[in-house]
Amino acid sequence: MIATLLRIVLRRLLAAVPILVLVSMMLFGILRLLPVDPAAMSVPPNATREEIETVRRDMGLDRPIPEQYVRWALTLLRGDFGTSIHYRKPVGPLLAETLPATIELALAALVVAGFLGIGGGLGLFHVRGTWKAAVGDLGSTALMSIPSFLWAIILILIFAVAFRAMPVAGRLDMAFARPPGTGFLLLDAILAGRLDLLASAAKHLVLPAFALGLSFSPPIMRVLRSGLHDVYAEDYIRQARLRGLDEGRILIGHAARNAMLPTATLLGVQFGFLFGGTLLVEVLFSFPGMGGLMVEAVRNTDLPVIQAIGLTYCLVVLAVNAVTDIVCLLLDPRLRAN
Amino acid sequence: MRARAAWRSGRVRIGGILVAIVLVAGILAPWLAPHDPEAQDLLALLLPPAWAPGGQAAFPLGTDTLGRCVLSRLIWGARVALYVAILASLGAMILGGVLGHVAGYFGGWVDRLISRAVDVWMSFPPVVLSLVLMVGLGVGINNVVLAIILVDWTRFCRVLRADVLTVMNRDYVTAARLAGFGHVQTIWREVLPATLPLLATLVSLEMGMAVVVEAILSVVGMSVEANVPAWGVMIADSRQAMYQAPWNLILPMVAILVAVLGFNLLGDGLRLALDARQSGARAEAP
Amino acid sequence: MTSITHRLAAIVAAVAAALAGAEAAAQAKDSVVIGWQSDIPSWDPTQRTSPDSQSIYKAVFDQPLDQAIDLSLKGHLAKSWKLAPDGLSVELEFRDDVVFHNGDKLTSEDFRYTFFERPKRGDKVDLANFWRNVTDIETPSPTRAVIKLSKPMPTAPQWLAFFCSYVLPKRYMESVGLDAFRDKPVGSGPYKVVDYQLGSRMVLERNDAYWGPKPAIRQVTIQVIKEASSRVSAIQAGQVDLTVNVPVREAERLGKEKGLAAQLRPITRVVLLQIRNDLGFADPNIRLALHHAIDKDAISRAFYNGAAVPLSVVATPGSPGHLQDFKFPHDPAKASAYLAKSGFGPDKPAKIKFASTNGHFPSDFEIARALVAMWKKVGIEAELETIEYAKYFELNRGHKLPEATLYSWDNASGDPEIFSGYLLNPNMPFSAWKGPEIGEKVVKLFGVVDYNERIAGYRAINREAVETGASVPLLQSVITVAHKDGLTYAPYGNGWILPQSMAWK
Repeated sequence: MIATLLRIVLRRLLAAVPILVLVSMMLFGILRLLPVDPAAMSVPPNATREEIETVRRDMGLDRPIPEQYVRWALTLLRGDFGTSIHYRKPVGPLLAETLPATIELALAALVVAGFLGIGGGLGLFHVRGTWKAAVGDLGSTALMSIPSFLWAIILILIFAVAFRAMPVAGRLDMAFARPPGTGFLLLDAILAGRLDLLASAAKHLVLPAFALGLSFSPPIMRVLRSGLHDVYAEDYIRQARLRGLDEGRILIGHAARNAMLPTATLLGVQFGFLFGGTLLVEVLFSFPGMGGLMVEAVRNTDLPVIQAIGLTYCLVVLAVNAVTDIVCLLLDPRLRAN
Repeated sequence: MRARAAWRSGRVRIGGILVAIVLVAGILAPWLAPHDPEAQDLLALLLPPAWAPGGQAAFPLGTDTLGRCVLSRLIWGARVALYVAILASLGAMILGGVLGHVAGYFGGWVDRLISRAVDVWMSFPPVVLSLVLMVGLGVGINNVVLAIILVDWTRFCRVLRADVLTVMNRDYVTAARLAGFGHVQTIWREVLPATLPLLATLVSLEMGMAVVVEAILSVVGMSVEANVPAWGVMIADSRQAMYQAPWNLILPMVAILVAVLGFNLLGDGLRLALDARQSGARAEAP
Repeated sequence: MTSITHRLAAIVAAVAAALAGAEAAAQAKDSVVIGWQSDIPSWDPTQRTSPDSQSIYKAVFDQPLDQAIDLSLKGHLAKSWKLAPDGLSVELEFRDDVVFHNGDKLTSEDFRYTFFERPKRGDKVDLANFWRNVTDIETPSPTRAVIKLSKPMPTAPQWLAFFCSYVLPKRYMESVGLDAFRDKPVGSGPYKVVDYQLGSRMVLERNDAYWGPKPAIRQVTIQVIKEASSRVSAIQAGQVDLTVNVPVREAERLGKEKGLAAQLRPITRVVLLQIRNDLGFADPNIRLALHHAIDKDAISRAFYNGAAVPLSVVATPGSPGHLQDFKFPHDPAKASAYLAKSGFGPDKPAKIKFASTNGHFPSDFEIARALVAMWKKVGIEAELETIEYAKYFELNRGHKLPEATLYSWDNASGDPEIFSGYLLNPNMPFSAWKGPEIGEKVVKLFGVVDYNERIAGYRAINREAVETGASVPLLQSVITVAHKDGLTYAPYGNGWILPQSMAWK
């Protein structure tokens, strides 16, 4: 049994590899469309023509594009993410500083989306058939029309402009130094035993997480509600009612558990979109994650950074997709039949 | 019959009205807008709406950081939003639709190739991919359209392929092939009419998404040219004065919401109405 | 169902109470939190010219010479300096009581290492470009150094207080290497770096062994806040004690808030147009028309609350190159006349391309768009595109610049060579103007050592450049500073905000 599961996991991971390769090729190709000269951008303004040529040869920019790609891919495999043209520093540490922030934000947003989505889905189902459901339905469609960056602006307008209640910039209160550790502030604060750091980090996470979570909760609400519809048609629900259990217990105790599978699948699928949504939310909240770094790299046409971050986004999405697939396979034995 | 069923749906009605508002604004912009959207009045910067203290009647919704009339920019912005939305969704529909039909109809290695391409494409978060594409293509409204087409064709492809696969199992398709119709003719005569309703829904939803993508690219600074009034550009411009003139930020946001909500309700309503009709049709078929 | 809701509500309430309770401690009065608009390129201050980073570098590192608040040159690490009459050498007499943060004594050897040895061995630092004519630095004693130049460098003293000219510790750098130095920098300045998070924040602590006046503030935290609106939020919420470059309107509003103060000060920064001498601008009539059509007062009023001073030459008032009595007027009639001479007008507009940054300095993109509208009225159609600041040099090198580029030029020294000299020298990467008429005269001035002769030459050039349409200055720019009421700082005329000059009242 374990062997079959392991084989499935392995096959799933291996299937992701060619996709990753193709993704990297696509990224590389798109960026070579640019009429930009990375060599000219790496040198100080006073540099002469010859100096630029030397740099161009050093960077391998005079080789044909396929060869450039192979060089880049090989250095990548060695763990070298290249050097930022703008910062004149290796990209790896830049990524290491910013990736945990983005992941922490995405996870927090997932939690918010999960709570709101599941709570909303349960609530909508509970009032089904009444006028409240129709209103709720319209409401969820309306909510789905609000993208995360608009939520971000709305929240900033409410909590910073109208009521100066919540912080809208950074990850931590200005007075604090970041605790050393993983880069996941909440975790680091707990490990350091600092309640004040934890509170500050949590406060700064709230609005960005809600901006993202609010925009991703409607689909979850809907899937859960239709999942519950399907489950409630089953026999064992009627049995439970006959046994005298009240509606609340039936809903939470029996039905919800079974409707969780499609919901969990959706959460996994949504993570990809959610992760992309962090980009603009980070910019709007001055959150020091990959999104902010990417936007700056785009503005400076810092190709090595754009390539590295683009690839990282895809890697995370692929990883989460693979994990979701595996978890679903584990949860639902019927899917394993393949 | 199909249209009447759709019209009865509340969503389609509300969505339709909202979309109609945007359409009217966009088409009649030259006559509706009180001012040239790019005309600057450096002496009348950041005026509040006409009903607020300090507002002027000449500028019903106030002015922005360069003294341009906000109402005029909103109206002309509808034109830009429609241009991007319609062209991008039609383009994505054509590209994704053709590939989706081809993949579903022919199956085999063709299907595998196209599906693999879609998988690769969809590993990119859409925001990231559109940003990277804009870096490669350069700024400009037509490049925005192109970038959206290149990012969103995958959704059309995937959904349509699934739909085509279900249609392929129908008897009348096999019948057409047996009767000697060529591939293209079969697709055109038998498959397409069945997938058309889904296409219509997807296009409507896509239009809403195109409006959002343009806004996202504008906030980052990588969308349309400098002299084009777009809602996203209005948002980007007004962020720096958000404490002094929150109206400048709220109004284009409302415009985007109206447009996206309209397209979403319309698409949603169409889907529900056509789903009901399809299950009704199945019940009628022999 | 209800019991669950109640339980959930209770949990949420408890968490919210805990979060609200655990607030940050009150700010101690010997520390300051600054909200800065950009990160430093790295902790090697000689690596990149970065106007925004000078205030930070000057807290941690020392320069051979320094500028007073009125920007006059004075001694710093070097007690005295002497530029030879032929401009081919500079003698410096250093202090003997300077100690680096790691305890090493600062000597002329460190000076030689920074300004000669590192550039010579090919270290990729911008300092190497500015001092490329150095053939040697003699160090006859630990406190004396003589710079030897292959070409006359009349502004060498000014450069010793300018970009990238900081003295680095030779022994420490050589023993740990460049990468480790950039992680844990060691300077000789009034503050030490105790923490640095890339793109996020830096913490500086007072150097109690500093040779100069002891700073009043013990701990300085510099928070990097790239978005202007976030800086505004931060100062409003009291999360920072001082911040810079907030939009002009916001500065006005913040100044009126209780507990906050704001300043709008003109500094030695010029907003101007970099002009090509060819393509759409080959015709001088178009260039002059372009200039006459600009209403600089309107721009100052609209975007700088009238605080920005309109300029007719590329030099700021109070600097030696400024011409008090020369005015280039706003005259749309004259503009139309010039255009008509070449057959252009509102019906047949002259077409040019125009580039501007967006967000590089306050209101840059607004000004660009306002200019486009002003030109349209007289008959010049300008196609505007946004570029990044760094892209300007790349385009210039490839001769691909548009006809006009909106540019902001910082010259902390105030010296005219670093204003119009650099901006018009065809051999330098800053000049878009490659025409020989002005160009040759500028190049010659670079070799003139006599101060008065040099200044007179630049004053003449400044006038000629504007009269022939080779230079289109717009405004003297302003710096906006918003801070808590009780905080004071030294208001340098070049926009430096030095932590060592701050104090709580």
